[in-house]
Amino acid sequence: MVGDRKKLMSSINKKKIRYFIPLFLASGIIIYTIFMVVPILNSMFLSFYTGEGMSTPTEFVGFRNYIRLFTQFPFKDRFINAFWNNVKFFLIVTLIQNVVGFFMAVLISRKFWGNKIFRRISFLPVTLSVLVVGFLFSLMLNPVWGIFDKILEFLRLGFLIRPWLGSTTTALPVIAIVISWQWMGEAILFYMAGIDGIDEEVLEAAKIDGAGPLAEIRYILFPSLLPVIGIVTILIFIGDFTQFDIIYAMATTRGNPTYSTDLFGSLFYRVTFQSAERGGWGMGMGAAVATIMFLIVFIGVIFWLYIFRMKGLKDKEGA
Amino acid sequence: MARTKKPLLTKSLIYIILSIYAVTIFYPIFLMLITSLKENKEIFTNPYGLPHVFTLDGYIKLLKISNYGIYFRNSIIVTVTSIFFILVISSLASFAIAKYRFFGKRFIYFYFIAGLIVPIKLGTIGILQTMIKLHLFDNITSLIIIYIAMGIPFGVFILTDFIRLIPEELSNSARIDGCSEPRIFYKIIVPLLQPALAAVAIVNFIPIWNDFWFPLILIRSDSMKTVPLATALLYGQYETNFGLIFAVLSMASLPVIIFYLILSRQFIKGLTAGAFKGE
Amino acid sequence: MKKSLLWLLIVLLSVSMVATFSLAGCKEKTAEEEAVAEEEAAEAVPEGEQVTIKLTSWRTEDIERMNRINAVFMEENPDIIVDFQPIKDTEYDAQLTSSLETGVGADIIWLRSFDPGELIYNGGYISELNDVIPELADFPSAAINAWASDDGVIYGVPIAGVTHGVFYLGDIFEQYGLEEPATWAEFIDLCQTLKDNGETVFAQGTGDGWPLYEVIYSGLGANFYGGEASRQALMAGDMRLTDEPFVDAFKAVDELQQFFPSGYEAINYVAMQQMFGTRQAAMFIGGSWEIGIFRDAELDDLGWFAPPVENEGDTLQYCFHVDMGVGINKASKNYDAALRYLKWTSTPEFAQLFMENLPGFFSYTPNPTGEYILEDDVALDNLNAASGADLTVRTVWERMSRQEPSGNGMMEEALIKMYTDVLTPEEAAALVQDALNTWYEPFME
Repeated sequence: MVGDRKKLMSSINKKKIRYFIPLFLASGIIIYTIFMVVPILNSMFLSFYTGEGMSTPTEFVGFRNYIRLFTQFPFKDRFINAFWNNVKFFLIVTLIQNVVGFFMAVLISRKFWGNKIFRRISFLPVTLSVLVVGFLFSLMLNPVWGIFDKILEFLRLGFLIRPWLGSTTTALPVIAIVISWQWMGEAILFYMAGIDGIDEEVLEAAKIDGAGPLAEIRYILFPSLLPVIGIVTILIFIGDFTQFDIIYAMATTRGNPTYSTDLFGSLFYRVTFQSAERGGWGMGMGAAVATIMFLIVFIGVIFWLYIFRMKGLKDKEGA
Repeated sequence: MARTKKPLLTKSLIYIILSIYAVTIFYPIFLMLITSLKENKEIFTNPYGLPHVFTLDGYIKLLKISNYGIYFRNSIIVTVTSIFFILVISSLASFAIAKYRFFGKRFIYFYFIAGLIVPIKLGTIGILQTMIKLHLFDNITSLIIIYIAMGIPFGVFILTDFIRLIPEELSNSARIDGCSEPRIFYKIIVPLLQPALAAVAIVNFIPIWNDFWFPLILIRSDSMKTVPLATALLYGQYETNFGLIFAVLSMASLPVIIFYLILSRQFIKGLTAGAFKGE
Repeated sequence: MKKSLLWLLIVLLSVSMVATFSLAGCKEKTAEEEAVAEEEAAEAVPEGEQVTIKLTSWRTEDIERMNRINAVFMEENPDIIVDFQPIKDTEYDAQLTSSLETGVGADIIWLRSFDPGELIYNGGYISELNDVIPELADFPSAAINAWASDDGVIYGVPIAGVTHGVFYLGDIFEQYGLEEPATWAEFIDLCQTLKDNGETVFAQGTGDGWPLYEVIYSGLGANFYGGEASRQALMAGDMRLTDEPFVDAFKAVDELQQFFPSGYEAINYVAMQQMFGTRQAAMFIGGSWEIGIFRDAELDDLGWFAPPVENEGDTLQYCFHVDMGVGINKASKNYDAALRYLKWTSTPEFAQLFMENLPGFFSYTPNPTGEYILEDDVALDNLNAASGADLTVRTVWERMSRQEPSGNGMMEEALIKMYTDVLTPEEAAALVQDALNTWYEPFME
C-alpha cells in the first residue's frame, strides 16, 4: 500500500522535481572538483614537466622526472629511504594502536564505575594538534634537560637511556610511539563502538558455557572485531603515508638524524617547496613524488578494502 | 549477572592498568600546563612538581610580542565558516542523491566518496597554483575553500545514508500540501538531520582547527596566520626561552582541551556515529 | 542527548553566521584602523604620507636588536616605518621564494651569501645595485663577490661576516691552570685534561648537521685542508674532497668525538647553546654570532680562541664567512622608501649600529672617518684574529651548493654519519665527493 503511494507520488512530481537536482548538487560538485579533484590531476600532469617556479610549468620532459626518481642519485636513494621508513613507521603504529587499542577497549568496555571517564580521557590527545604533541615530546626527550630521562633515572631505569631522537635506530620508533600515543583514543573509540555492537546474548551464552576472559577474547571479541582492525588500519595507512606535522616538529623537514625519519610527507614538502640548496628538487619532481604517493595510497586502500571486505561490513553496520 | 560477580582482584587489576594509561595520557599535558606557569629558573630546578611560585609571565610576554587575538580570530573564522559550508553544501547534495532518481546518480555518489580515500595533501601543488591564479595566496579565504572541498566527501557519505533513512512519507505529505522541494529540504529534512550534521561538524572540527600543512604552504602575513602556523613559527623563534615556549604550546592547546572537556560526550557520540559510516 | 546536540549545532551555526559577517567586518575595521593610523601619521609629519617597508631575514632571534637599529633610521626618516618580519631559518628560503613569486614578498630582503642568494637573484626578484649605490665600489671585493653574479652584477649590499672558533669558560680553564691552545696537539691535550678531571669538554652534538659542517669542519678543519687555496682548487675542480688534505681535515675533527658529551647524538643546536649557556660544558665550538646569546646568558668569564693550527708557526686559515647581504625587491610597492633604507645599510653609521647591537657580526663597510668601535672584548678577539691570517669561507658554500644534492647538505649528512660512527673519515669525504660528481661540472670532466 505504502509502496504504491510512493511510486504514484514520485511519478507525479518527477518533472517538477527534476529542476532542483542539478541546483542542489552544483555547489558540492563545483567546489569538490575545482579544489580537490582537479589539483590532484593537475599534480599528475605537472609531473611530466620541469621548471623552477611554482606558478607555471615550463618544459615538457615526458617520464624524465620518474626516471630520475627511480634511477638517479640522490633522488632514488631519498625516495626509497622514505618509502621504507614509511613502511616501518606504518607497521609500528598499526601494531601499537591495534594491540593496545584493542585491549584498552576490552578493559574499558567492562562494566565498572568510571568506564565512561576513561573512554573520554583516552580521546583527549586526539584533539591536540600533532604539531604541539611533537614539540612537547621533543622537549621531554631532550638529553640535556628533558624530563623523560630523568623519570627513567628516578625509576632506577637509567641504563635504558638512549639518545632517543638522535640515533638512527631509535628515532623513527620513538616518533611512531608518540603518534600512537596521540591517536590511541581514536583506535579505542573504534573498538569500543565495535564491542558495543556485539550481541549481549552471545557474550552471556559464552559465559554460561564457562568461557574464561581469554577464551572470550579469542573466540568472540577478536573475530567480531576483525572488520574494525581493517578500519583502524586503513585510517592509519592514509594518515601515515601523508604524515608531515610530526616529522616537522620532532625531526625537521630533513628527517633527522640523516634522513632516518624522513617519511613521504616530509620528503614531498622538502623536495617541492624548499630551495635547491636545502634539498629542493623543483616542482616537477615534487609532482612526481606526489603522484607516486597517490598511487601507493590509492592501491593500498583498495587492497585493504578488498581484504577486509568492507562492503559487507558497511551493509551490516549501516542498516 | 555473571559480570558483576567478577572477583575483586580482576577489577582492581583493570583499575590499575587503566590508571597507568590515564597517567601516561595526562602527564605530558599536565607537564606542559604547569611548566608554562613556572618561572624560568624553576623549570630547571624543579621540573616535575607543581610550581612554588605561579607566574603568568610567559603568557604576558607572549601576548606582548605576538598577535594571538588575530591568530585565534583567523582560526575561528576558518574553522567555523568552512564547517558551516560543509554542512550546507553536503546536505544539499546528499538530499539530491538520497531522495531523487536521476541519470548518473551512482556515479556522482561514488565520485564524492572517492575523496575519502585520497588525501587532499597530494594535490597541494595544484592547489597552490590555483590559489595564486585566484589571488588568494596569503589569504585565509584559500584555507576555507580547501577545507570545504576536503570536508565534502565525508559529509556526503554520512548525510546521504542518514537522509535515506528518513521516511519518504514525510516529504510526500508535504508535497501534497504544495510544498516546493527546497522548502521540503529546509522544513522537513534539515530538522531531522541535526544529529548527523553535528557528527559531520565534530568529525571535521579537529583536522581543520589543527591543520598546519596548508597554512604553511599558503599563508605568509602575520595578519593571516592561524594558531597552528603561529605556534610553529613562534616555537622556532623562542626555542631557547622555556617559560615562553611552554606558554606557546599551552596557548595552542588550552582552547581545544576546554572545548573538548565541555563537549566530550558529543565528541564521542558524533565520532562513533561517523566511525561506522566513515571509511 | 538530542537536545544537547541541537544546542551544539545552533551555537556552531550562529557563531559561523557571526563570523561570516565579521569576516567582512574585520576587513573594514583594519582598513579603518589603517586610515586612522595614516591620519595620525599625517599629523605627525605634515609633509607627505608615511609608508611602511617590510624587512625580512632568517634571524628570528634578532627582532629586538633589529628594532633598535631601525628605530634610528625611522627617527632620521620620519616618513618611513620599518617593519622587521624574520622567518625561521629552516623555512626562510622556501617561504621567501614563494612570497616573491606571488608578489607578497618583503621590500628589503636579507640574502645569504653565494648560492642561496644567487638563486633568488636568478629568479629575477631583486634589483641590480651597481649604479644605484656607487659606494659599493669601495667595499672589499671578497665581500662583494658573495652577492654578485659571475658577470659582475651586484645585487646585495654586504652587511656582515662571521667567524668561527672556540668559546670557553674562563673559570674552568683557570681552575685547571689551562691556557688557550695554539696548536692542535695542545688543543687535544687540553681536552684530555678536562675529560680526565670529569668535566664535560664540549657542548656539542650531532642533532643538527650544520654546526658540524659550518663551524667544526669549515672552521677548525680549514687549518688542515689548507684554507682558501685548497678551497679555490676544489671549486676549480683541481682538487677533490677525497684528496689527502681534505681527508686529513675529516680525520682531525673526528678526533674531537671522544670529548663530546654523552647522548650527543640527540643534542641539537638549541640544546648545545643551552648547555654552554648554563655552564654545563667547558667549551663550545661556535660562530661569532653566538656572542650575543652568551652575553644574554650572563657568561662573564666567556673566552675565545681561534682554530688551533696543525703545527706551531703555521699561518691561521681563518674561516671569516660572508654571511649577510641585503637586497631590494624589484616589485616593491614602496620602492623609493626601500631604496633609501638600502642605501642607509651601506653607510658607516649603519655598520657601527649593527656591530654594536649584534656583537659578533662584522661589517665590511669602509669607514673613511676612522675606526669602528667594538665594545665587546670577545668580538674584538674574533676580529683581531683575522689580522695576519689567511681568510676563507665555508668549504663547499660557493658554487657547489647550487643544486641537489648540494655540497652543504651532503657535508652535513657526511659529518653526522662520521660522528655517529656510521662512516670513517675517508668514507665521509667520499660520500660528499660522489654526490658532487653527479652534477658539479668541474668534477665531471
